[in-house]
Amino acid sequence: MRTTRRKFLKWSSVGALGAVVFGGCTIPESALLVQSPVRMPEDLVSGLEAWYATSCGQCGAGEGIIVRVIEGRAIKIEGNPDHPVSRGKSVAMCQAGLQSLYNPARLRAPMKLTGSRGSGQYQEITWEEAYAEVVDSLRSADPARVALMTEPLRGTLGMMAGKFMEAYGGQHLGYEALERTTLKAAVQQVFGAERLPDFDIDHSDYILSFGADFLSSWLSPTRYNRGYGEFRQGGNERGTLIQVESRFSMTAANADKWVFVRPGREGEVAVSIAYVLMTEYAGAIDAAAANALTGGQGATVLGTFTPEAVAQTSGVSAERIRELAKALAEHPNSIVLGGGSAGATSNGLSNLKAIYSLNHLIGSVGRSGGVVFNPASPLGDLPAEGKAGPFEEWQGLADRMRGGQVQVAMVHGANPAYGLPTAVGFEEALNGAGKIISFSSFMDETTRWADLILPDHVYLESWGDDVPEPGPGYQVVTFQQPVVRPLYRTRAFGDSLLAVAKELGSSVAAALPWATMKEAVQETALKLQALARGSVQSGDARSFWNAVLQRGGWWDLDAKGERPAEGPPALPTNAVEPRFEGPTSGASFFLVPFVSNSLGDGKGANLPWLQAAPDPVTTVVWHTWVELSMSKAQELGIKEGDELEIEGAGGRRIVAKAYLHPGVSPDVVCIPTGQGHTHYGDFLVGPDVSRFQNGVGTGRGPNVFAPLAAAKVEGSGALAWAANRVSIRKTGNSGRLAKLEGPVFPDFHDVEAYWPIRKPESSH
Amino acid sequence: MQQRVALPHPQINADLLKNVLKAPAWYWGIMAFLGGVVIFGSVLVAYLLNKGFGLSGAHRPVMWGILIVDFVFWIGISHAGVMLSAILRLSKAEWRRPATRAAEVLTVFSLMIAALHPVVHAGRPWRIIYWSFPYDFSRGLWVNIRSPLVWDPSAIFTYLTGSTLFVIVALIPDMAVIRDRTTGIRHNIYSVMAMGWRGTPRQWKLQVVAGFLLSALLLPVFVSVHSIVSWDFAVMIGVEGYHVTIFAPYFVIGAVLSGVSAVVTMMILMKWMFGWGNYIRQEHIENLAKLLVVIGTGWLYFFFVEFIFALYSLESQEIALRELQAFTWPYWPLALVFIFLSYIIPIPMWMFPGVRRNIRIMFWSSLVVNVGMWLERFLIIVPGLARKQVWTFDWSTYHPSFIEVMIVVTAYALVFLLLLTFAKLFPLIPLFDIKEGDILGDEIVIGKRRVPALRVEE
Amino acid sequence: MVSTPRERKWQMVVDADRCTGCQACVIACQAENNIPINSESHFQQKRAFTWIRIERYWEGEFPEVKARFIPFLCQHCDNAPCEPVCPVFATYHNNEGLNVQVYNRCVGTRFCQNNCPYHARYFNFWEPVWPETLRNALNPDVTVRGRGIMEKCTFCVQRIRRGEQDAKREGRDVRDGEFQPACAQACPANVLIFGDVRDPQSRIHEFLAKDRRFRLREELGTETNVIYLSKLDLEAKEVAGHA
Ligand SMILES: Nc1nc2c(c(=O)[nH]1)N[C@H]1C(S)=C(S)[C@@H](COP(=O)(O)OP(=O)(O)OC[C@H]3O[C@@H](n4cnc5c(=O)[nH]c(N)nc54)[C@H](O)[C@@H]3O)O[C@H]1N2
Ligand code: SF4
Ligand code: SF4
Ligand code: SF4
Ligand code: SF4
Ligand code: SF4
Repeated sequence: MRTTRRKFLKWSSVGALGAVVFGGCTIPESALLVQSPVRMPEDLVSGLEAWYATSCGQCGAGEGIIVRVIEGRAIKIEGNPDHPVSRGKSVAMCQAGLQSLYNPARLRAPMKLTGSRGSGQYQEITWEEAYAEVVDSLRSADPARVALMTEPLRGTLGMMAGKFMEAYGGQHLGYEALERTTLKAAVQQVFGAERLPDFDIDHSDYILSFGADFLSSWLSPTRYNRGYGEFRQGGNERGTLIQVESRFSMTAANADKWVFVRPGREGEVAVSIAYVLMTEYAGAIDAAAANALTGGQGATVLGTFTPEAVAQTSGVSAERIRELAKALAEHPNSIVLGGGSAGATSNGLSNLKAIYSLNHLIGSVGRSGGVVFNPASPLGDLPAEGKAGPFEEWQGLADRMRGGQVQVAMVHGANPAYGLPTAVGFEEALNGAGKIISFSSFMDETTRWADLILPDHVYLESWGDDVPEPGPGYQVVTFQQPVVRPLYRTRAFGDSLLAVAKELGSSVAAALPWATMKEAVQETALKLQALARGSVQSGDARSFWNAVLQRGGWWDLDAKGERPAEGPPALPTNAVEPRFEGPTSGASFFLVPFVSNSLGDGKGANLPWLQAAPDPVTTVVWHTWVELSMSKAQELGIKEGDELEIEGAGGRRIVAKAYLHPGVSPDVVCIPTGQGHTHYGDFLVGPDVSRFQNGVGTGRGPNVFAPLAAAKVEGSGALAWAANRVSIRKTGNSGRLAKLEGPVFPDFHDVEAYWPIRKPESSH
Repeated sequence: MQQRVALPHPQINADLLKNVLKAPAWYWGIMAFLGGVVIFGSVLVAYLLNKGFGLSGAHRPVMWGILIVDFVFWIGISHAGVMLSAILRLSKAEWRRPATRAAEVLTVFSLMIAALHPVVHAGRPWRIIYWSFPYDFSRGLWVNIRSPLVWDPSAIFTYLTGSTLFVIVALIPDMAVIRDRTTGIRHNIYSVMAMGWRGTPRQWKLQVVAGFLLSALLLPVFVSVHSIVSWDFAVMIGVEGYHVTIFAPYFVIGAVLSGVSAVVTMMILMKWMFGWGNYIRQEHIENLAKLLVVIGTGWLYFFFVEFIFALYSLESQEIALRELQAFTWPYWPLALVFIFLSYIIPIPMWMFPGVRRNIRIMFWSSLVVNVGMWLERFLIIVPGLARKQVWTFDWSTYHPSFIEVMIVVTAYALVFLLLLTFAKLFPLIPLFDIKEGDILGDEIVIGKRRVPALRVEE
Repeated sequence: MVSTPRERKWQMVVDADRCTGCQACVIACQAENNIPINSESHFQQKRAFTWIRIERYWEGEFPEVKARFIPFLCQHCDNAPCEPVCPVFATYHNNEGLNVQVYNRCVGTRFCQNNCPYHARYFNFWEPVWPETLRNALNPDVTVRGRGIMEKCTFCVQRIRRGEQDAKREGRDVRDGEFQPACAQACPANVLIFGDVRDPQSRIHEFLAKDRRFRLREELGTETNVIYLSKLDLEAKEVAGHA
């Protein structure tokens, strides 16, 4: 039995004598465990709060947060009001960071496998033993047969990991469950921009978004939600948002109009809009861009994309296409966005290119209220872009591992065993690796196969820095400092890299000359200081360091991104047909997976707050659900809560509960990401009656990644996660879907009487 | 021509004290069964109090469940005692005599049981003391006298005190009779309880005066108790269907309907169980049935007025609630059962003398009235809260949990257990009253006329 | 010199036209106010605690579907129906316009929740349980409620009090915007605007002056201190400001 402080007090009061003799005047160790990192006296004054600025490690956008610390415990996370991206704001994921820190399922010490792989039998070892073992395996391995799998790393840690693998000689592969590869390729090809741009929706008056669920967890949720507020009711005229998407997403729910488009047909609609713009609104658009987009031949080469023709394939009516084109031409500050499922069909890259090209036509490239570009990193060797290998590289790595060509596989911050479709067979491939070393803070589907675990701190315990991605249009480096003393016997991944490098010696040690992660971050700060520009400037290294920590980062409003010189590449003259894998006969549907607003790619699934945050559109919690159109459900005799078996390509199946949804097309089913973990913590929450408790992390409905076909997006090699067709079947079981909303009641009109929904005073 | 059997006093004593002096075997059997149910129910209550009210079926927005339904029901039942004893005593209705004691005792016990419901309902009995018994004087914090939940305990405890006194006053002469027929420790106990009763004229006079005074005193209390219980609901502006002015009289007359029906059921049971055919006679049941016709019809008027409110104002929220109560699953079957059981079946039936005089039919028909009236409370309370109001996004209907159902069942068992225990300790029919009646009147009332009764000595 | 504190009156404006339904406010409130963890069965039992919740209403049929989000919290009614019915004064009105809840007086009758027209109150049907380590994130400024107790949005009164004390210590009046409730602080779209309406300089006046303002169920006369600004829709019938 563990001795907790509470139990300790209980026992003390029971055996008063014992308490006085043995415990009366001492503080139990567990109470001392959590203490201020910096040991500033004000931290320990009861009742006084201290706020520390640091960098957020939750969703990967790299924004600044401030953390409230009282008596050495982190109590609350807020956005950093100074930080250019978050500007004091936050979304659910940011708030829930505390539950990462205090998660009961954290790995607490370095561990070595004692049983067979996957048995979960580990023995705690010392850090020295752990490092020695890593060094041994790296020394004895052929560097070419070593792989390091990480999350997309930026900033100093990204630089260090890059240098480490460069000096050592292995393969470093970044992993993103929800790839930006296609988006980045499109942005690169359409704008010539190396970094993701910022979309200045704050100052925009018309947003046409194809599949980009930017109000949910797309790229930089806080930034876009903040921008949306301004877009609606900021100083300018109320903006209009149109969402063209195959799913009724959270962004669609907020849009002035949701336009249903058949999966994979977003590009055609975009080209058709371009066609209408060029033919009907030639005066209102950028003629040079029109010229470039048609290879100098004029709108006639786009003749296959007349609204009437596109309406046939896309399901978007010709009038609607004309209406959208007209609105784009009329609004001076419009933006066209694309992403999500629009870029995740086999023709995703072609779709996104067509979509983003529209920005050239309407002149929204590189101006306020349009697409704003981000400058390069302020420091040459400080990566501002998190590099992630596309799906095809991961398939390649899996093949090599399966073939026994990987002697050491190291993994940090990545969980490919969860996020890659089972068709890749990653778990079985991983077991082909000679040695598996994990630096994860949590047990997960990849780490469960590890031979050696060197648990990382969580972000609130570590030193570091980050470059927000996408940035706000100028140079920003966010600094990260530990806000609490590490809770357990964990070590930062950066420190582990340094320790291993030192042991390995020679070129690897030389490439990483720092003693600690903190020192490396300090050096980055010194380099920024040397720039002598931006938000923090000081002649004194110490005061510069203190100032960037206090403000949570460094930024330079004047170091703006340039509008890239190139014009757009020509649009395709014939439609690129999307291809779909999976059953097409019987009760067959397009499967449109979508990213959970709170759980993201599944990383948030071990945090009870996020599990219990209702999905904005369906209000479902704690589950994977299947969104099915009401009419289709009626036809198939399906009720809410009925278990449905979803069968995809290769007969791969998942079972999830039905949610009937008025905003789903009858030929589409939509399933959120994020659930379906099998190894991601196993603590219980809920009332003190066992049948009302549930586990967190594992066993919460299926994983939508699992049944996907290993289809690729042409031209980018990314996983085409929206290129599947599935059949559905009732299993006969039925359950209760946990959600905030009660049984839907139809009398909405009553609500309208109490809730005046008005028309804006003036509109185009 | 009705025959009235005038029994010799020793025989009356023997009959009515039969159970007190020596209870039959079946009596102990029933007691054991009821005791078992009560013990099982108490264990469940303990479990509920330990784990929390989460074990009930209540949830947003239906915060009050069948424990409150049952609370209102038992308060309703308690209205039988005073109704019969006080009104009939004041109006000198002769036929009341065998009915009064049972009715009064039923009042006391059902009030006690009713008061237990909110205690369990609040979930933490150790916390609620300062609600009913404000003790927090030192901080100047009193209870909130604007809250009907503060009026409730005062009304209920006043009524309980009054009706307990009522029972005790009426018991004194009978205690003396038992005192004289028991020995040993029982003799001593009954001696104390007889309070030195010697049956002197002065004592008889005082006893009668006390009875009248208490009757007069208790009548307003009886009206107030259920009025106040109705205000628990009527003050809620947040609940459309509750917020109506007729609730007080509507609840009071409903309470009388269910209370008097319960007395009928109980008297027939007593007649069967203890073989008191000579005391509980056709005329009693028949008179009560006539009374019930009047009360039931009065109640029906209020029932319809409630619907008229919605129809007359055409207030959409009101109409939505009535729709929910009467036409929406799962409430419509309950509504149908309720109106049939509490009015449409029994009341017209009782217009026929043949039915009124058939003890068996009277037993069942009076019993169903209370099943119906229980459902009536359910249909007022639960759909009222489960209404599909605007801004009730997490709307859901209510299903009582097993434990709640068992607590309700236990409440019934406990009332029966207490009544039977009472029947073991004291005569359920007042000896003195019967004798007094015999002596006072060799006349009986038939219709509007007083006629001489035929005395048949056996 | 510290002068006698000014009478304050706190109000909140909720601009429904900005709300994206992102749930940041919901989690921020849970984190700030030590709200028990909502397990799956809390939701299935319809007993989940969401002092602020986002209601989503559907409109129309496929493909012309619309969703409407509206944030819901205690309206801090000046004529609060929940207050007179509480037998023990566990919920009462303070002189700053706040409907306050005194947890350790509450006896658990749930009368107040029945009478709240906004369904803004939440009852602890169960003793809240936190996995031991997660308790470290509890806010020491806020009571952890036990079983049998009613709770609801407090307008983050602990933040108000802390702000007032800080101001007092520095010998000044509280400044507009120096503190805000957790939900308002988190809300990325700036839907929730909190302020003291007795302070003529406060920013909330700018929003209170908008012609889109309305109160929920105004016909009940509850005089709420949460004021909504209506959602705008290009296809709505009425034009804002000309209703
Ligand atoms: N050196 C020195 N000694 C003094 C004094 C002094 O000024 N200087 N002052 C004297 C005076 S005036 C006093 S009143 C005493 C006070 O002496 P104590 O009564 O010992 O008071 P505390 O140490 O403040 O609190 C006692 C314990 O109660 C715990 N506690 C807090 N809240 C609760 C609760 O709700 N329930 C329970 N069970 N425990 C709780 C606290 O964590 C703490 O451990 O000290 C006297 N001793
Ligand atoms: S949006 Fe993402 S990076 Fe930014 S604060 Fe929130 S979780 Fe952290
Ligand atoms: S909204 Fe409900 S809880 Fe809040 S003050 Fe009004 S009546 Fe009371
Ligand atoms: S539940 Fe608590 S706050 Fe509400 S009325 Fe009852 S005692 Fe008062
Ligand atoms: S004001 Fe505070 S208590 Fe109320 S909903 Fe917002 S965060 Fe929660
Ligand atoms: S945080 Fe703001 S935008 Fe998000 S749901 Fe809450 S009120 Fe709406």
